[in-house]
Amino acid sequence: MAVSSVSRAKRKVNWLPWLLLLGIAVIIIGRIIYLYSLDPRFNTAFFLRAFIESVKLGSLYALIALGYTMVYGIIRLINFAHGEVFMVGAFMTYFFFTFTPYPWFISAIYAAIIAYGSMRVLEFFRGSMRDPLVLAAGGVIFIGLTVLVSSITFPFWLALICSMIFTGVLGIVIDRVAYFPLRTAPRNSLLITAIAVSFLLQNLGLLVFTNRQTPFRPDTPLIQPLQLTVGNGQVFSNWLLLAIPLITAILVVVLTLFVNRTRLGKAMRASAQDAETAQMMGVSVNKVIATTFLLGSMLAAAGGAMWGLNFGSLNQPAILGILPGIKAFSAAVIGGIGSLPGAVIGAIIIGFLENFTTAIFPKTATFQGVTEFKDTFAFILLIIVLLVRPSGIVGEDLSEKV
Amino acid sequence: MAVSSRLDQNPQIVERTKTLAFQQNRGRNLLLTLGAGLVFILLLWFFTGLGSAKLTQALALFAIWGVATVSLNLINGTLGILSLGHHGFMLIGGYTTALLILPDDARQRILDSGRSAMTETTVGLSISNLFNAIGLGGLTGDDTLWLRFLLALFAGGLMAALAGLIVGIPSLRLRGDYLAIVTFGFGEIIRLSASTRIFAPLTNGALGFAGVPSDFGKSVWWTFGILAFTLFIISKLKYSSYGRAMESIREDEIASEAMGVNLAYHKVLGFVISAFFAGVAGGLWVSWLGNARLDNFLFTLTFFFLVAISAGGTGSITGVLLGTALVIFVRQYGDPLEETYAISRWLEFIGIILIIAGAAFLLYRSFNRSGKRLPDWSVWLFTANLVILLLGSPVFPAINLGKIGLYIFLIPFLVLPFLPNVGDKSKGVGWIVYALLGIGVITLLIGGISPGAGWLTGTFRGFGMRGIALAILLIVIMIFRPAGIVGRHEFSWGWLFRERLDQPTDEERKQDAWLSNPELNRAGGAAAVDTEEDA
Repeated sequence: MAVSSVSRAKRKVNWLPWLLLLGIAVIIIGRIIYLYSLDPRFNTAFFLRAFIESVKLGSLYALIALGYTMVYGIIRLINFAHGEVFMVGAFMTYFFFTFTPYPWFISAIYAAIIAYGSMRVLEFFRGSMRDPLVLAAGGVIFIGLTVLVSSITFPFWLALICSMIFTGVLGIVIDRVAYFPLRTAPRNSLLITAIAVSFLLQNLGLLVFTNRQTPFRPDTPLIQPLQLTVGNGQVFSNWLLLAIPLITAILVVVLTLFVNRTRLGKAMRASAQDAETAQMMGVSVNKVIATTFLLGSMLAAAGGAMWGLNFGSLNQPAILGILPGIKAFSAAVIGGIGSLPGAVIGAIIIGFLENFTTAIFPKTATFQGVTEFKDTFAFILLIIVLLVRPSGIVGEDLSEKV
Repeated sequence: MAVSSRLDQNPQIVERTKTLAFQQNRGRNLLLTLGAGLVFILLLWFFTGLGSAKLTQALALFAIWGVATVSLNLINGTLGILSLGHHGFMLIGGYTTALLILPDDARQRILDSGRSAMTETTVGLSISNLFNAIGLGGLTGDDTLWLRFLLALFAGGLMAALAGLIVGIPSLRLRGDYLAIVTFGFGEIIRLSASTRIFAPLTNGALGFAGVPSDFGKSVWWTFGILAFTLFIISKLKYSSYGRAMESIREDEIASEAMGVNLAYHKVLGFVISAFFAGVAGGLWVSWLGNARLDNFLFTLTFFFLVAISAGGTGSITGVLLGTALVIFVRQYGDPLEETYAISRWLEFIGIILIIAGAAFLLYRSFNRSGKRLPDWSVWLFTANLVILLLGSPVFPAINLGKIGLYIFLIPFLVLPFLPNVGDKSKGVGWIVYALLGIGVITLLIGGISPGAGWLTGTFRGFGMRGIALAILLIVIMIFRPAGIVGRHEFSWGWLFRERLDQPTDEERKQDAWLSNPELNRAGGAAAVDTEEDA
């Protein structure tokens, strides 16, 4: 048997990945300067639009990445099924604004699930499911929604909210059924279970939703065209260009306030630092985990709905969630998994890589490769970041203790 | 090193090592293995002789996926690294094999079609052309296709092994789930970049290759021959010093490094060998399909392998083959599940599944607890009922039970919670079981009694049912039996004959007596000598 001859006395600096990153940055910045100074088509308006488009795509990824990072922060699980939760969110929104009004019995089932979800949300603030306010709210929501879903066509915002609550409950259910029994199991078993849940949700989506591409065009003012004059150029787009980053910013601010200012948020931070000690200090870790799944899944559902708005259609359920999910995961790792601002930063970096590079390398024969490799950028950056700095941009050191 | 050489010189010790228990019946075991192999070949011959194309295909696919799962098990089970990029390695091997053995008419069609991205040079990449170039033109006929196929498989394996080397290098820096994600990322990068302009001249982009000869992938003999070769190599590796080093890495990386195991070398070695066989499996898979297209190398493939490994037993070669058989059965024979049936039929089926799940949960709890248990016959009753019900279930009507018969066979499951040894023990989760059983009965009755009512008249297609079944199987196994059905144990003849290999034989007892008897053994035995010298 060969004997390891590696000496660990001095840590060698791995300069190759840094050089790669530097090279990529130099190429992109050089290209921007080149285009801006030489080509009249690439004026300020063009770059402004490319910039906001990149932020928009990045904020879509950020909404998914936050769920990954929160769950990883607390139970150290890469929730492979999160991309599929995103898919369910998108399709639930679609079903709410397209097929309402429903028959009464389906309305009652939806209303029951959403009322239960709302009660769980209220429980975090009132402390108990048996609190009269919680019970009353549950009852009102159940009856109101049953009547609502069976009588009117949902506007987009209502569909979005209902879908968020539904998906949040789905997140809690996934945690309860699949991950809860494996809290003390080896990490690999947990990861395999997550993969299985992801596969289950993909196939359930095929079974329950649809098995083909679906148009996603709700009747909302957000998809009205928008025209801006900047300098000597014009930006043609729709209101989504501004609305998606704005909605994302609002959701992220609300989430940050929740995590930093509320009791439950404090419990979440405590559990992320050390779940065992937090439990000893009287934090109900299972409740914290359920909250995490609820919030992450709600954000993913919002992301899914806006993904549909942005692209105008939803891919079939078996493949809709995979690429956004895994790219958002890459974003979470790049930013530093376990950290909320890190997830947003990483997601926006990936948005820029994907969108900005395709914008500045147009589809000519010379640069065809760049555009076609768009989907692999996130993975390549992920691998480079993992090799250079596994803790991510803002993350803490996660190296294994002996 | 020094100790073992001294042990070799001691005649008594040499005598002892010769008759260690696990070596006792070596000759008999070898004979039995050969006999079992012969019986297996006869069985294969019999099955292929039945003339059922479906069965032959399923058997060949079992062998192909067996190669893939056994090789994946080398990383996941023996090395203990969760690798999720096996579909990428298979893609590389598959496309290489397809390109190298594609027949001339298929190449001509690629050249003729306007949408193809391939150039004259890349279309000409074939083993026939290589043979022509080096003066072996006699070997390019149809009768020597097998030689070219084997060479192409080997080349595909080598290409995949190269990719394995590239993937293996990050594994030196990363651990656990990060590494899993990186392997997943590599698999996806391979698949996504195969259709880009850079690689399209080699892979023909999204069109892929049609008309790959399927004489080998669909032949039971070739596929099982290659599976046997894979099993031989992988099991030899597993029981060699390399395999033991890999297992020690699985158990504890830091400790094994402290014991002098070269982590980098063994991890990369594991990745390279595993990727090689994945490439071979990819070549066979392409041949089984008859074409090479990117849709056939999705992550789903790795998921199926993962189910096979986890269900059978992570780290056990026989367990993995068992799991593969299970997955192949669901994939090849589960298609009745994905057809269109009346909604009432689906409701009946769901009702039966719920009732069985509730009863199984009760039985599991009863047997997992010490103290009073259900009698053994209840398990047999349960199993027999299960088989009969699933054969006669509304979706798999292999035997015609009729509605009354179906209900009669469901009664034992419903009676189960009221047996004295079950009911009182399941207080904590009682409501889950009762809810399952209750909802099951209600669903069954709705489906069975009111097929004419309103929305029950429609039909429903069970699209994706097989995937759901496998995913639920995997989740259930992970929760209730994380090590898989057989765990890490391998099949052995001694186990079959209930030999207690961990007990010393009479001869060994005698030797132990000699070693520990100071009258007979003045030196105090090998152990005593060692301690003296160390001091």
